[in-house]
Amino acid sequence: MSDVSVETVADTMYDMVKEYHGKKNLKALDLQKAMIKKFGDDKVDKKMCKAAIRQLIDSGKCTYSYVGGSYIVLPPEKTE
Amino acid sequence: MTEKRQTPKLDELTKGPWPSFVTEMKKVQDNPMVNDLLGQLERSYNEKIGHWKHGGIVGVMGYGGGVIGRYNDLPDDFPECNEFHTIRVNQPAGWFYDSKTIRKICDIWEKRGSGLTNFHGSTGDMVLLGTRTKELEPLFSDLTSIDFDLGGSGSDVRTPSCCNGKARCEWACYDTMKICHEVTMHFQDELHRPAFPYKWKFKFSGCANDCVASIARSDCAVIGTWKDEIKIDQKALQEHYVNGGGVDIARDVVNRCPSRCMSWDGTKLEIANEDCVKCMHCINVLHKALRPGDERGAAILIGGKAPIIGGALLAFTLIPFIDIENSLEDIYEVVEEIWDLWGEYGKNRERIGEFIQRIGLGNFLEQVGLEPAPEMISHPRTNPYIFFELDGEE
Amino acid sequence: MAERRTDIGPPHYENFLPPVIKKNYGKWLDHDIPRPGVLVHTAESGDKVWSVRAATPRLASIVTLRMFADLADKYSDGYMRWTSRNNIEFLLTDESKVDPLIADLKKEGYPVGGTGASITNIVHTQGWVHCHSSASDASGVVKSIMDELFPYFESMDKLPARLRIAFACCLNMCGAVHCSDISVLAVHRHAPKIDHDAMSKVCEIPSTISSCPTGAIRSATVDGKPSVEVIEEQCMYCANCFSVCPAMSLNDPETDGISIWVGGKLSNARSKPMFSKLAIPYLPNNPPRWPEVVNAVKHLVEVYAKHARKFERMGEWIERIGWPKFFDLTGLEFTKYHIDDFTHAGETYNRSAHNKIFNS
Repeated sequence: MSDVSVETVADTMYDMVKEYHGKKNLKALDLQKAMIKKFGDDKVDKKMCKAAIRQLIDSGKCTYSYVGGSYIVLPPEKTE
Repeated sequence: MTEKRQTPKLDELTKGPWPSFVTEMKKVQDNPMVNDLLGQLERSYNEKIGHWKHGGIVGVMGYGGGVIGRYNDLPDDFPECNEFHTIRVNQPAGWFYDSKTIRKICDIWEKRGSGLTNFHGSTGDMVLLGTRTKELEPLFSDLTSIDFDLGGSGSDVRTPSCCNGKARCEWACYDTMKICHEVTMHFQDELHRPAFPYKWKFKFSGCANDCVASIARSDCAVIGTWKDEIKIDQKALQEHYVNGGGVDIARDVVNRCPSRCMSWDGTKLEIANEDCVKCMHCINVLHKALRPGDERGAAILIGGKAPIIGGALLAFTLIPFIDIENSLEDIYEVVEEIWDLWGEYGKNRERIGEFIQRIGLGNFLEQVGLEPAPEMISHPRTNPYIFFELDGEE
Repeated sequence: MAERRTDIGPPHYENFLPPVIKKNYGKWLDHDIPRPGVLVHTAESGDKVWSVRAATPRLASIVTLRMFADLADKYSDGYMRWTSRNNIEFLLTDESKVDPLIADLKKEGYPVGGTGASITNIVHTQGWVHCHSSASDASGVVKSIMDELFPYFESMDKLPARLRIAFACCLNMCGAVHCSDISVLAVHRHAPKIDHDAMSKVCEIPSTISSCPTGAIRSATVDGKPSVEVIEEQCMYCANCFSVCPAMSLNDPETDGISIWVGGKLSNARSKPMFSKLAIPYLPNNPPRWPEVVNAVKHLVEVYAKHARKFERMGEWIERIGWPKFFDLTGLEFTKYHIDDFTHAGETYNRSAHNKIFNS
């Protein structure tokens, strides 16, 4: 597989989180499904999506939130 | 510090023989956070309403679980407990501690928070009750420096818990503490980084007495059981339970057996083991004479939960018997199959028990690659509305 | 600065096992309860360990935890453990230390008991101490009930079987009270009050609407702003919407209160596990001592203790005598609220002619 890198997946996820900010909270699974749909399951799998999410969170570009369920969102300071 | 909050209503609860949570709070009232917490709680007692707000985005770097954000709605009146977040700390299996460790935890919590705890929370975690956002990272660092990590919260694997099993119980049919610890370590990523439709709880009980309430309170309950015969020591039976011992064997044991598999002629107890459902009652009562068999393992039950939202469910048998201590890899495989399916089709806030009811147990089994078995149901369907699949039929 | 550690999990339990436990791990033979609050386990090796069980209020200060650590050093080689019901246990190898430990625990205010056919600690939730959706306090109700039921904690000869009580301060049931002999459950009885100003800022309207299990929430425009409205007759006060949307609080000092449920069990011993069933739909919140709730629980315990047979849990007793007799013996009013009207309600009707006809 993988002429798509984890970084590319992470960047694409980040754009999606930004696009949906204020409209819909996205769960890890929403991001995963969207990426597999976008890049194709021969290019991107569950593991890569997990790694990409971890990159987004560990770098501080995104953070987890909880509203009756866990979501991946922009950190509060970036949304002011 | 500011003036000590007066709490006449709460003071009523320092009286009486049962240990008092108010007394606990007063023991650390010198902490300004606790002083304001007492003031706020007294206000709730007067107004009959809570003063905590809903959540908030707080946590430690990289984790989505383990910290519950909590703010009050009276920041002007009780500023010191305006930020009062909860930290869930993963307890050691079986809730065993030594004094050195308890003191280290106390020292950290004195420095970083309110000094109030729950030993333990409902799921099993050690709960540190009340700290500020700025303390979260230093607190996490302090905790990991003494080898503690955070527990779960949100849509993740919640902190697993277990009974004390082989550590101090003759009925443990498998090593609950070992399995609980291994499962906790195996699913660290799933525990700290929420990626499910909703929470997933594991609980491990060594026998059907189920001291950690796994059947009611976990999505995956592992309950110890055995395959072979109940071991009877007829001599001990005579010695301890005939003519004394406070037990009427016929009335209290044989007649209370749910599978009617026992007989007692006044001298000899016989058990038709093929009919025994391993409920534990006879062993509980005649504990000096009866023991679980030697071929021990566990049943895996799925789908227990409290009412929100589709109603309360007890877990049901998915695997009636497995040699759990030698089959953990198989369990991981099944569990991950289930998570994949639930992740793909589960709705937000839908627990696995509700999900299975929605899609149907038959479909669920097919999807996760398990064969239907009569142990999974209390009886076959009574309605004739069968979805026949004619493809592939001769 | 030291490297940041993550994903290390809990410390290994073996670090905290007393030597006698390590030595006899998996080799226990039998146990007895020589007196309330004391278990003695005998191993195949002949070793014995005395476990002394004391009550705690679950909410523990570091002052108390340090005191427990000191007691552990003095009596049990520095080791202690907690039970699944928030009691603390000290594991002793020297029988002569049992009495002095019990005396020290009592002096500090932590009584010993909760074994065998007793009422042990009440598992409970956070309540007004720390929760945003609570319909009552938790610790205060628990303390008030246990003060009253204290004789049942310190004894093992007053009840036919163990009796487990649980408390939850809203339907989320962090304390999972749905399978206890007596469940005390705080309830909201009013549809959510919608904060229309906050709605569009803090909530996703579509997910708020879809969170409602009865379809009682629909979108609405209020003062030109997008929001929701609730069809009040359709609301069953589950607060699932509040969990996903902070602008839908159900907390209400006038109408919040407490319900009481009976006959649940989760052990598989004898009968299968059972849910608790509604006994009293509503009692008022009356802090600081909740006398109505305390009296109701005490009454249920006393009626059960008087009528149940040995080894019968509350639910098993009620199954034997039947619900009509239960309402008769307890004098509780049976109302339309007791009849299920949720998803599987029809399964709870008595579809038979089996009735015990009796004069009450």
